[in-house]
Amino acid sequence: MTPNTITVALVGNPNAGKSTLFNALSGLRQQVGNYPGVTVEMKKGHFTVGDIRVNLIDLPGTYSLAARSPDELVAVDLLLGRLPDEPAPDVVLSIVDASNLDRHLYLTTQLLELGKPVVVAVNMVDLAATQGIGVDCAALSRDFGIPFLPVQANRGVGLDVLQEKLLEAAKSGTAPEPLALPAALEHETTRLVVKLGTAVSPFQARRLILDVNGATEQWFVAKLGDGLSQSLGEIRARLAAAGCPVPAVEARTRFARIREVVAKCVSKPTIRPVNRTDRIDRVLTHRLWGSLFFFAVLFLVFVSIFWAAKPLMDLIDQATKWLSSLVEGAMPVGPLRSLITSGIIAGVGGVLKFLPQILILFAFIAVLEDCGYMARAAFLMDRIMSRCGLSGKSFIPLLSSVACAIPGIMATRVIENRRDRLATILVAPLISCSARLPVYGLMISLFLPAEIYSALTQGLMLFGMYMVGFIAAPVVSLVLRKTLLRGERSLFVMELPAYKRPSPPMILRRVIDAGWSFVRRAGTVILATMILVWAALYFPHNSPDGFGFDERAEVLSDVAKSTDDDVRDKLGDKPIESELAKLGLDVTKPPEEIREEAGKRARATKAEHQRQSYLGRTGRALEPVFEPLGWDWRIGVAALASFPAREVIVGTMAILYEVEVDENNDPLVSAIRADWDTSSVRGRHRIPVALSVMVFFALCCQCASTLAVIHRETRSWLWPTFTFVYMTVLAYAGAFVVFQVGRLIWN
Amino acid sequence: MLIPLDMLKPGEWADVAEVGGDSAWVVRLAELGLREGCRLQVLQPGSTCLLKIANCRLCLRSGESSQILVMPVRG
Repeated sequence: MTPNTITVALVGNPNAGKSTLFNALSGLRQQVGNYPGVTVEMKKGHFTVGDIRVNLIDLPGTYSLAARSPDELVAVDLLLGRLPDEPAPDVVLSIVDASNLDRHLYLTTQLLELGKPVVVAVNMVDLAATQGIGVDCAALSRDFGIPFLPVQANRGVGLDVLQEKLLEAAKSGTAPEPLALPAALEHETTRLVVKLGTAVSPFQARRLILDVNGATEQWFVAKLGDGLSQSLGEIRARLAAAGCPVPAVEARTRFARIREVVAKCVSKPTIRPVNRTDRIDRVLTHRLWGSLFFFAVLFLVFVSIFWAAKPLMDLIDQATKWLSSLVEGAMPVGPLRSLITSGIIAGVGGVLKFLPQILILFAFIAVLEDCGYMARAAFLMDRIMSRCGLSGKSFIPLLSSVACAIPGIMATRVIENRRDRLATILVAPLISCSARLPVYGLMISLFLPAEIYSALTQGLMLFGMYMVGFIAAPVVSLVLRKTLLRGERSLFVMELPAYKRPSPPMILRRVIDAGWSFVRRAGTVILATMILVWAALYFPHNSPDGFGFDERAEVLSDVAKSTDDDVRDKLGDKPIESELAKLGLDVTKPPEEIREEAGKRARATKAEHQRQSYLGRTGRALEPVFEPLGWDWRIGVAALASFPAREVIVGTMAILYEVEVDENNDPLVSAIRADWDTSSVRGRHRIPVALSVMVFFALCCQCASTLAVIHRETRSWLWPTFTFVYMTVLAYAGAFVVFQVGRLIWN
Repeated sequence: MLIPLDMLKPGEWADVAEVGGDSAWVVRLAELGLREGCRLQVLQPGSTCLLKIANCRLCLRSGESSQILVMPVRG
């Protein structure tokens, strides 16, 4: 590292405006750093002042340095410079909310003990001023001996001075005077450091003593043995006897000092003005009006997803079609063309079609979260969630899962209680995600044809399918909390941030991130699966008598498609004639009958090709398994092929029914309908079969990425395996019940 | 007279007299600003209630809020 590079760590409470300050300082020059084995995400950015480059690390928002989880411990280790791959920060930048100084300074007083220069940015001074709160930064600087600087991160006010002070602090490198903690505590800290040696810094020793059963204690006990927990118990007993009960002594000492300083440096209005947030909250957190508003918002979100995305989806459809026709024009008829058009373009295009809906959904979620409304929704839903053993904090992840379970599962990081978090992760994949839309769309138009049923009926059916997940998830979580994840009742406390205007760049960034990861997925997992499915259905492609199935089908359909004259021409042509004879066509018959016969045989050859392919053999072998669900081997194969990514079903069905998916799925729908009509089961019970397919897809975990994310977030293979097994069993049972009951109803 | 927090009516003000429960939980609440001596207002009552403390809004469940004893005061 060159001497003209400095590293600054940004630390602050949630809702202090940390991300805003980070974005204001580093602009677009930022990236997200992921740490192996942990789920903390630390954003990194940089800016230059003169010829000095300042690297900025944005730590996750926290109320305290008392680490409660291994993830929080990583943030503390970074501040202490104990992460092997990260340079120790030269300066700690603490951001506090001017309107909530007494509370936010708690973390700042802990930062003073890190042994690094600290600079404090007092954010939102303008907002505090409108509430009649005056902050004397100069007085605060004198009292704490570190620079306190007023800033307005959202408007970029005060950033020049802040940057200057950061450089000054880095240059001097002097650590501030920490707040005086009780002598007994400091004495025990020193003794512990001496006892444990270089393995422990004074800061860590203090946390070891103060954070009863915290992450620091668990980590060091695992490393140094159980003797440590015994001596910690003795230390805490001695401190309690000396009038310093752990952990209360820390909060008491720090807040006493903060109260004393704030009384001198902050002027507060004698009357409490009712601010804008209070006025809005009076309605939006109201039991009745707030709940009504919430459902109206949900309704708006769903309506926009289906209506606003339509023109864009049509555009993507047209692009897919155009691309298909381009390939068809440039390539000769053959298996490769079928792979590219009906496999890759239709499969991947059919998935990309849902990009507009995903972007709209993510935009809504980003706006609702950024303006502060999500926390209100979580508050309103806490009562319902608590009945199923979850908390309001589980609600946001579950709502996000409507877009995709992956961001939903990642959003569970805010849930502190381990069992709550695990239960939420395990049920999040039950919520119908946007990838289920293609399946629902296909099946609904299959048994509720648009010619007969209105869009409203179809919409209600779709809503019904979403309800399957919304009902199943709480029920399963309740069962989990009573059995596998039985444990301490979770304590629930959550802060509701003040309302603010959402920031368009932040929303744009989130929407672009979501869109990009979706496109990448379509280009990798789904593309690979489509190719595998195609190959498993194509090979072996030679019949026992040496004919290539596809070539034979090709000749037959050529004959079937030919005009009267063509057929005569072909009949007059010796080699073709012998070939036709070999194909079993009677050359003496009139051209019309030959054509008809050829068409039938072409279809039969294609069907035989699929039936004897590897996937077809597997499907037929498993037919007894699919039968109770009302499925034939084709549906079974499509469902099996969709296990890596459920969107694959549309492309697989397209390959199975040999149609190129274009223009609103209709050819596929009619092909499936025609095929079902030939079967005694599916012809008579079209509705129960379609319902059983939809219920299976609603409840099944057909998404390799979700399982991978569950593995990453739980750091175990047990939970992804468990999720996969329980959801597959649930899906099979659900589809079974729906078909068997439906068969009785629609007999 | 000290009463449990969940007995306060919406709009009422009170000073926190005692925060009961597991010590780690008490420290957690203190970090969030809910500690002995602070003044709060009940915004929404009930089993998950909404409180205003200084300039912050916290929500907690009755199981937790009933362990907090407060002294009602006039706003």
